[in-house]
Amino acid sequence: MGSTSDSFAPAMSSNSEAVNATSGPIASMGASFLGIAETVGGMAMLFGRIVKRLASFSCDGPELWRNLHRMGVKSLPIVIVTALFTGAIMVIQASPIVERYGAQQLVGWAAGFGTLREIGPLLTALMISGRVGANNTAELGTMVVTEQVDALRALAIDPIEFLIAPRFIGIVVTLSLTTIYADALALVGAAYTGEILLGVEPTTFYHGLTGGLLGIGDVLHGLIKSVFFGVLMAVSSCYFGLTVRGGAPGVGRAVNATVVASAAGIFVLDYFISFLLG
Amino acid sequence: MSQDAALTSPERPSPSTQRVAALGALAIELARAGRDLYGVFVRTLFYTVRGRYERGAVLRQMYLMGNQSLFFLTVVMGFIGMILVLQGGLQAERIVPDPTLIGSTYLELLIRDLAASIGALMLATRVGAGIAAEIGSMVVTEQVDALRMCAADPIDYLIKPRFIASVVMTTVLIIWSATIATLTGMGTAYLFFEISPNIFFDLRLVDFGDLSVGLVKCLAYGAAIPIVSGYCGLSTYGGSEGVGWATTRAVVNSSLAVIMLNFFISGAAFLLIGA
Amino acid sequence: MISFRNLKKTFGTKEVLKGVSFDVHDGEVFFIIGASGVGKSVLIKHLIGLIAPDDGEIWLDGEEISRFDERRMYDVRKKCAMVFQHATLFDSLTCVENVALPLRKHKGLKPKEAAAEAMRRLAQVQMEEFAHRHPPELGDGMRKRVAIARALTMDPRYVLFDEPTTSLDPVSARRVDKLIRELSDTLGVTSIVVSHDLTSIFSIADRIVMLYRGEVRLLGTPDDFRRANDPIIDQFIHGRATGPMET
Repeated sequence: MGSTSDSFAPAMSSNSEAVNATSGPIASMGASFLGIAETVGGMAMLFGRIVKRLASFSCDGPELWRNLHRMGVKSLPIVIVTALFTGAIMVIQASPIVERYGAQQLVGWAAGFGTLREIGPLLTALMISGRVGANNTAELGTMVVTEQVDALRALAIDPIEFLIAPRFIGIVVTLSLTTIYADALALVGAAYTGEILLGVEPTTFYHGLTGGLLGIGDVLHGLIKSVFFGVLMAVSSCYFGLTVRGGAPGVGRAVNATVVASAAGIFVLDYFISFLLG
Repeated sequence: MSQDAALTSPERPSPSTQRVAALGALAIELARAGRDLYGVFVRTLFYTVRGRYERGAVLRQMYLMGNQSLFFLTVVMGFIGMILVLQGGLQAERIVPDPTLIGSTYLELLIRDLAASIGALMLATRVGAGIAAEIGSMVVTEQVDALRMCAADPIDYLIKPRFIASVVMTTVLIIWSATIATLTGMGTAYLFFEISPNIFFDLRLVDFGDLSVGLVKCLAYGAAIPIVSGYCGLSTYGGSEGVGWATTRAVVNSSLAVIMLNFFISGAAFLLIGA
Repeated sequence: MISFRNLKKTFGTKEVLKGVSFDVHDGEVFFIIGASGVGKSVLIKHLIGLIAPDDGEIWLDGEEISRFDERRMYDVRKKCAMVFQHATLFDSLTCVENVALPLRKHKGLKPKEAAAEAMRRLAQVQMEEFAHRHPPELGDGMRKRVAIARALTMDPRYVLFDEPTTSLDPVSARRVDKLIRELSDTLGVTSIVVSHDLTSIFSIADRIVMLYRGEVRLLGTPDDFRRANDPIIDQFIHGRATGPMET
């Protein structure tokens, strides 16, 4: 009956269907705007409810460990592959510039700042958004459609405490840890490629990294981004999962929505954090 | 394991054997998927040339793709442009005080790689998820089986139009993305580093090699995304719940395909064309 | 005791409940019957606050609960358990973990104690062999029994069953009927069963209410229904394809 979806989605949704009935580009632009506003509002409300639970430490223990374990295991293979390849690609792309200016010394530095500040957090977030975020939405959406969330409420168990808070923490922790791991692997991939393609010795690469142009500030820059990306991804995937309507096709639509929202949100957040942190 | 144990107890492989078996199973699974994917690709190409012609099918897919992704891509690429110039400029300031290089280097990287690769990653999520969800829904409602009953190949009907549409639209959308990223990059350079648009928009480092590599990437990504997500859609299983899982797989695998293709094309370009 | 007073509920443009009133007495097995889509499930979901009425009152043990918020509803749900139509166990947990969950949460039992108690309750529904399997691996009838065991963990006074026998084979269906009857006879539990299974209705019901087009058609004992001089009721309880009833 959609009762759980209703309790998580704002009450506006029935209006957007009425608006879509009228034709014209202005009307549909307005409808999209309202739709986006409704989504953002709904996610903000969900975030508020999660924070309230976390502040009082009410998060189901066994579910938390189960999710942490599952998400970590799921994301490891894809992060390993992506990070290694991406590190290699970075060096390949930078190589004409390096050869042009004879800047072999700077390869380590360039790979370092690119990875730590941008590529590491961004790419890891994008891949995890697909692997863990979309999966999360599919799971939650299926649970809504098969009335499992209603069953939780009928057992007088708070779905936010039991289902959502563990996944929220799981996603944020998984993303932060895998970003560090991905950073390291990307640099390995970059170092290896640098040696093969440009003949840059690993020691030179290492000196470029640690030589003093990069600092702990750059590492933190990337980590802070990961935390924010994780929060966005967690709230987005849980929100779209919980507000699924319309049975199984609705779950597919929800997965679509969450990857798009996460991807767009990640880039927007990335810019503002880069801008604010300098 | 001692002789006695082998004789009296049922087969229980040791943990290390189990791990190797798991790895082997994974390898076989990957090889099978790779072979299937290759099969889908070849058949799609075949149907592109020799398949049935349906009026407007390709055009409709192109329209859908463009419509779905335009706003999303514009927003993302706009921010990418700003991020890249901001970060690049900040770091360049630390070592090389000459600002005139920023524009030319940025444009070269954008055209040769970033517009295509990042744009394609975004399309992999948006378009890939959409294709898998659509085809997956058709699988679970047995429409695909019905197609086969009519001696029609689902690849001809479902994947081929999306394939052609994607190859064309990906290229178009990525050219658009590059434009947007250039514009926002220009704006950022002017606002933050006081580089005038004239100096920024410097195409002297962009040569024919860069353009062709960028174009090859557009075509490759445009081909890969519908093939991979179409394949994930067609292999939906597990009833109607499976649509959600198929969509997830499509997003992950399309993104992976883009990254791996990027690696191979970039590597090949470097080795063939050089600096 | 449970009372519905003039309950009204509309979804969109469809008026599902148009003013339904009846009482359920303690300790009885009470059936809500009617054609598919007539609003039976909607009605019982009001009792545990999954749906809120547009108008009317719901009284449970002397409290009017229709306007309760989620927090206050928790107390109601501990008294009034529900077994959902599709058994609705949590797929990610094993059967024993499913049953142990409310024990862990509400009775504050440690994991080991909760597991032991859960095993005991699974044995009561003859499902202890499958304790460590996951729900997707089991058949419908087996899942139903585990769901009933889980619903009973809070020792509720009322249990709601949403179409308990609908997807079951005849043997499993009769087993579930037997369980429901025993709950009332031995534990004094009040069972409210939504069903359109004629065999269940006429073998274990104490009293029945039939809904038709959003209103109460008849409220009474099975005999009242058999003797009723109403063509709609007649068509339903004899399962005839043709007749005045719209579905």
